[in-house]
Amino acid sequence: MEATKFTQKMVDCSLLDKGTASPFSPGDKRRGLPQWDKDRCIRCGICYLYCPDGAVYRTADGYFEADEKKCKGCGICHRECWFGVICMELEG
Amino acid sequence: MDKYSLMVPNFLPCKEYFDIKKNNACPGCGISLAVRHVYKAIEGLIEKATWEAPAACDLFGKKSALSIMKVKKDKAEVVICFDNEAGGKLEDAIVKKMPAVAVAQGYKYVATASPSYPFDLFDKVKKAIETEGKSYIHILCPCPVAWKFEPETTVKVGFKAVETLAFPLYEVGSGFYNVTIKTMQPKKLAVYLTAQERFEKLTAKEIEQAAATVEKEYGKLVENVQAK
Repeated sequence: MEATKFTQKMVDCSLLDKGTASPFSPGDKRRGLPQWDKDRCIRCGICYLYCPDGAVYRTADGYFEADEKKCKGCGICHRECWFGVICMELEG
Repeated sequence: MDKYSLMVPNFLPCKEYFDIKKNNACPGCGISLAVRHVYKAIEGLIEKATWEAPAACDLFGKKSALSIMKVKKDKAEVVICFDNEAGGKLEDAIVKKMPAVAVAQGYKYVATASPSYPFDLFDKVKKAIETEGKSYIHILCPCPVAWKFEPETTVKVGFKAVETLAFPLYEVGSGFYNVTIKTMQPKKLAVYLTAQERFEKLTAKEIEQAAATVEKEYGKLVENVQAK
């Protein structure tokens, strides 16, 4: 099997040349996906503000959801939510 | 239900410029969060912005191991430094010399920022772009891998850095010298250091010495603020 070479050229956390990880998307392996409790959510948007990957988006009714392809399951939204509305649903 | 219509990010542009396909950052990355908010502030200039490799970048005539982003607009030249303290020494973590060097070299606008305070960060980048001449912004980005803490506490660690006065947020421009986030009751430095596992071997004496250094540095900053 041929060895794959990695070359990192840019600093904004990006690899320009394709490695063996290219068929995977950032959200393929994560610890858990955040779930919002809509009864208690006041729609303040703190989760959206602090998401490092821009995975949290606003739905038409004003509540928030996480994009499965982008979310890496870091849990910052769960930790930062003032009302403890978000819980991490563990996967795998 | 509409009485709760306060949407915090209404004060920021809601369009996302951060490209997830290029983003191979670890979960809970502080740089990733900072870059996302910087991109929102510079909007149309993203493609013109240049990045420099950490090992070879040239800052104030010295080589440094920091990620540098340069943006140019008309007469404005902005240098944004994303500092994740890759060196890992205690002296680097509590004393930041770069902003002071930038002030001494005659930069028109110098500021320190943290991704834990996104609105503050956004305002400073906006201000730097509108200022004529050179400007410098130093952003402290907590790194869960190198600093060894849980990825979900990235933002909390950023808060602690500011609240313990280890990394005060201030801005220097022509005619003003402000502390932008004022902490009324500063926490002890140990709160910030013990949150990171990389400093778990520090003795109580070393922490005391570090706290004294931090207090001294903050005293200098307060003096500078009052002198202007």
